[in-house]
Amino acid sequence: MDCQCLDVAKDCIKVLQKQFPESKRVGRLEGILLEAKGLWAEAEKAYSSLLEDNPLDPVLHKRRVAIAKAQGNFPTAIEWLNKYLETFMADHDAWRELAEIYVSLQMYKQAAFCYEELILSQPTVPLYHLAYADVLYTLGGVDNILLAKKYYASTIDLTGGKNTKALFGICLCSSAIAQLTKGRNKEDKESPELQSLAAAALEKDYKQRAPAKLLLLTSALKSLKTS
Amino acid sequence: MGELKYELSQNAYIKLVLHARKHKTAAVNGVLLGRVSPQNDAVVEIADSVPLFHSHLGLLPNLEISLIMIEEHYSAQGLGIVGYFHANERFDDLELDSIAKNIGNHICRYFPQCAVLLLDNKKLEALPKGKDRSPVMQVSAVFVCIELSNYGVSVSFLAIKRFWL
Repeated sequence: MDCQCLDVAKDCIKVLQKQFPESKRVGRLEGILLEAKGLWAEAEKAYSSLLEDNPLDPVLHKRRVAIAKAQGNFPTAIEWLNKYLETFMADHDAWRELAEIYVSLQMYKQAAFCYEELILSQPTVPLYHLAYADVLYTLGGVDNILLAKKYYASTIDLTGGKNTKALFGICLCSSAIAQLTKGRNKEDKESPELQSLAAAALEKDYKQRAPAKLLLLTSALKSLKTS
Repeated sequence: MGELKYELSQNAYIKLVLHARKHKTAAVNGVLLGRVSPQNDAVVEIADSVPLFHSHLGLLPNLEISLIMIEEHYSAQGLGIVGYFHANERFDDLELDSIAKNIGNHICRYFPQCAVLLLDNKKLEALPKGKDRSPVMQVSAVFVCIELSNYGVSVSFLAIKRFWL
């Protein structure tokens, strides 16, 4: 179905139906085939009837969310996904999907909440720290950027200093904080060491992997420091 | 405001289309680089393009770093950021979403004749089915050009230089 060979898919499903007449999985496949054909209403009906028999099937709930998303109906997709997550709170993929939908709609506060849930349940996955830091930075404001810096730092900690995005993130945060607190006479709590360490690590990384771009990196970092 | 023409070079076009084709299930975006034509003020030459992301298009840090580095790199060649390219996730979605509009507006502040190109997925779908191999190809306008009403610029004509399939 991914390759749009819908006839082949239909034949396969027929064979499966003969073999397993009352199977839930075949029912789901039929629903997915209807989705692939673009027959959203029929697919929705198929899933609803399957859900009546199996109200706690996570895959069916998620297919319904997928229908809403494919039609471009984001508010419905968000509503369904939130309902789903009230029951199945441990489904990390669903939290990630919800966060991505929020980011694409620029609802960053809600996306931040999703990532917070993910970090709470899986604190050792650097991906979530990085994504959370990105969303915080995008939200803006000194407090958020300070927090973002901490999460970039924790990402670097978790990945042993190899995550380029996080290193760049630290440099960006430091320059953004410097810009935002320019007028205020706050005592300099933030040590400049973190930024210079991050910059040095980036330069080392580039030297190893892309020496041709090293000059570009150094000039970009310079413009960040001065801006 | 007068009419503006944009000339899209083959290189730029190919890079963007290939990037979109590679990530069929995601929204992609990219930056257009070029300059105002030295011969004619009303023509903007889009000489090159840089595909940017295929996930999390709405997040700021990556965008900032990439724009800084792109500007640095291309200013050495005399090119600046002249536009933004976007391709939507869904097949029949022909609307420019808020992220694309925001980025477009931002580029406009620095370059008033900025162009925002939105990929028409349906035409992209039809692209490989054309079996004609003749060198002088009929220009198939795969992009739908969006008018940037903020600055009253209307794009009258999109020419694709030396286009081939």
